[in-house]
Amino acid sequence: MFRGLSNVIIKEVKELIRDPKILLGIILVPALMFPIMGLAVQTAMQTAEESMRSISIAVMNLDNGPVAENLTNFLTTLNVKIVEVNNLNFSEAVSYVQQSNLTGLVVIPFGFSYNITEGLKTELNVYTVFRGGGIAESTSSSTISVLLKTFEEGLVFQKVHEKFPEEDPETILNPIGMVERTIIKGNSVNIHPSALFGAMISQSLGMPIGIMMLLIFAMQLAATSVASEKEEKTLETLLTLPISRFTILAGKMTGSIIVAVVGAVAYILGAIYYMSSFMGMMPAEIGVDLAAIGLAPTPISLLLLGASLFMSLISALALAISLSVFAEDVRGAQSLVGPLTMLFVFPMLFTMLTDIHALPFPLMIVLLAIPFTHPMLASNVAFTGDYLTAVIGIVYMAVFTIIVLYIAARIFGTEKILTAKLKFGKLRLRKRQKDQT
Amino acid sequence: MSYLIQVYGETEGNKEAEERFEHVGNGDYSLSFLSLNSAQRHANKHVRSVLFANRGLSMEFAVEAKNVVKDFGEIRALDGPSFNVRQGEIYGLIGPNGAGKTTALRVTSTLLLPTSGTVKVFGRDVVDEALEVRRLISYLPEEAGAYKNLSGHEYLEFMTKFTTRNKENLKETVAIAAKISGLEERLRDKVKTYSKGMKRRLLVARALMTKPKLAVLDEPTSGLDVLHSVHVRRIIKQYVEKQGVTVFLSSHNMLEVEHLCDRVALINKGKIVAEDSPAALKKKANVSNLEEVFAKVVGLV
Repeated sequence: MFRGLSNVIIKEVKELIRDPKILLGIILVPALMFPIMGLAVQTAMQTAEESMRSISIAVMNLDNGPVAENLTNFLTTLNVKIVEVNNLNFSEAVSYVQQSNLTGLVVIPFGFSYNITEGLKTELNVYTVFRGGGIAESTSSSTISVLLKTFEEGLVFQKVHEKFPEEDPETILNPIGMVERTIIKGNSVNIHPSALFGAMISQSLGMPIGIMMLLIFAMQLAATSVASEKEEKTLETLLTLPISRFTILAGKMTGSIIVAVVGAVAYILGAIYYMSSFMGMMPAEIGVDLAAIGLAPTPISLLLLGASLFMSLISALALAISLSVFAEDVRGAQSLVGPLTMLFVFPMLFTMLTDIHALPFPLMIVLLAIPFTHPMLASNVAFTGDYLTAVIGIVYMAVFTIIVLYIAARIFGTEKILTAKLKFGKLRLRKRQKDQT
Repeated sequence: MSYLIQVYGETEGNKEAEERFEHVGNGDYSLSFLSLNSAQRHANKHVRSVLFANRGLSMEFAVEAKNVVKDFGEIRALDGPSFNVRQGEIYGLIGPNGAGKTTALRVTSTLLLPTSGTVKVFGRDVVDEALEVRRLISYLPEEAGAYKNLSGHEYLEFMTKFTTRNKENLKETVAIAAKISGLEERLRDKVKTYSKGMKRRLLVARALMTKPKLAVLDEPTSGLDVLHSVHVRRIIKQYVEKQGVTVFLSSHNMLEVEHLCDRVALINKGKIVAEDSPAALKKKANVSNLEEVFAKVVGLV
């Protein structure tokens, strides 16, 4: 039955991979886009860090008291370059700060030291130069306020210590020490929840996005591979070759899977590089050993996820191929398959943002009826240990796939593959004729 | 079941015959080879076929069409024509655009299902035994393309692999196609760099290289210049005479058909209006060429 299958697959892969549009759009761009994005973010962050280290501000000291002096000394010890602008008036100082590329201007008002010493509230005026909305700009502006806050905390500690010399100021200021831990699969684990979520982000966000991209690539490829046969007028010859129509269908599906997997791998590698360019900058304590707390995927959960992904891939391809039969060229096929993207985007958004089972019942049913929700649910099996959901999903997709494959095979087996066309124009015409009569 | 086996020569012929046999059928069979005696070969150098295991099915006709009707919605493309293509002949369907030529060829090639009536290729029904029929034929569509991201050579290899798994045969077949197409070095280039004429030559070569029992050629010289048309016609004639290929073709170029075909059928509005050898048709109508025959038959003159 499958005689000639490998021949068809090789041809499909060659045709798809050598198509410049596919090579560029599905393999090269995803593989390069993320590393380039990562590089840009990394560079921006490094610049921000550097600007934090070499921050320079103008100080207009109208007070000249001891606390004001402490403040400037404090900033100097933290490597902040201070330019005194006491000899300028305010508007001169502002334009000076703008011109000489300083981060901002701090105006210490008259009476600053007196008020603080006497226990009165006082104020400090901070002006940050706006030079655009980049990450580096926002970091340097927040740096100034962080430094000033630190100085303020020091003052508070000192004050508390002066008032209650017998007690530890830390105990007065932070009387409740909060220790946060996480419960996983019924066991308490000594990990802060936010650290855990940080560590799991690649699974909870990465998997649904990855699955969605893989399915979209594969569908576009499968639709293209049928429609380009029509567009390039090769379909008729192919259909008269001494191979079964099912072999042609299977060859097209396998070829699309191979190329889509190559594309998805390129995409995932790029995404991992992108993520790691952020992760490298995060504090080390976020690194959580998932295996030690029982959250690493077990062989069974991996197997289930694999099976679930494979089923969804097959059903997506069968769906795309069945639809693309009705298109006359590649563009038509892509616009027919395009709306199906919704079938991936909705499940992806809902699985990423909420728990599907917590949604209102009708919405939950709609989402569960979409076969492509199930691989995304299956990607959670590693944390929940709920194998049954994954198995039910696989069975449901298998049934869906068999039905769609049957339809695809029917279309391929008859002359419909040559004659089927969606005649929007004709339908409209008929409707108009009906309206007129 | 019945099988038709061709033996080319005595020693290397048996191998080829086996290859062909594999190509023809894969059911239960019993067969014995007869080697051609030289007297037979001298008696008829064109027909080098030896046949066997014929259990009652008619092998007389390569194509046997009976009252074929094909409707596309409300349009009737074929209105019940019956015709037979004999083995080893070049049979041409001629007629104006929209007469039903391409539909007749597509039904014969298992691409379209007849609305009613039957078409048999070497005794096999194009609907019930479609896969069997596809093993016997090679179809060249009028408007055909080749996979543009494959090289000409890769394209020919891809097509050949469906009929043979033997590497030697594969090489030989592709070499034959290279010769027919005359593309030589350009076969290494991708198809998308070919001109329209080069693509057509590649496709004609593809259709003939495997020496099918029946070649169904829809406007074989469409898009070719005079020189290449002459070349292609010569090749078709050669294949019929030397390789025992039967050709069922269509054309609206009546002069081409006149020189090429043993017999022609004039088709108009889905019906065959006349059928005979070009010479007989001209004689009957008492005119000097087929165009005039056609005009007379459909009542234009």
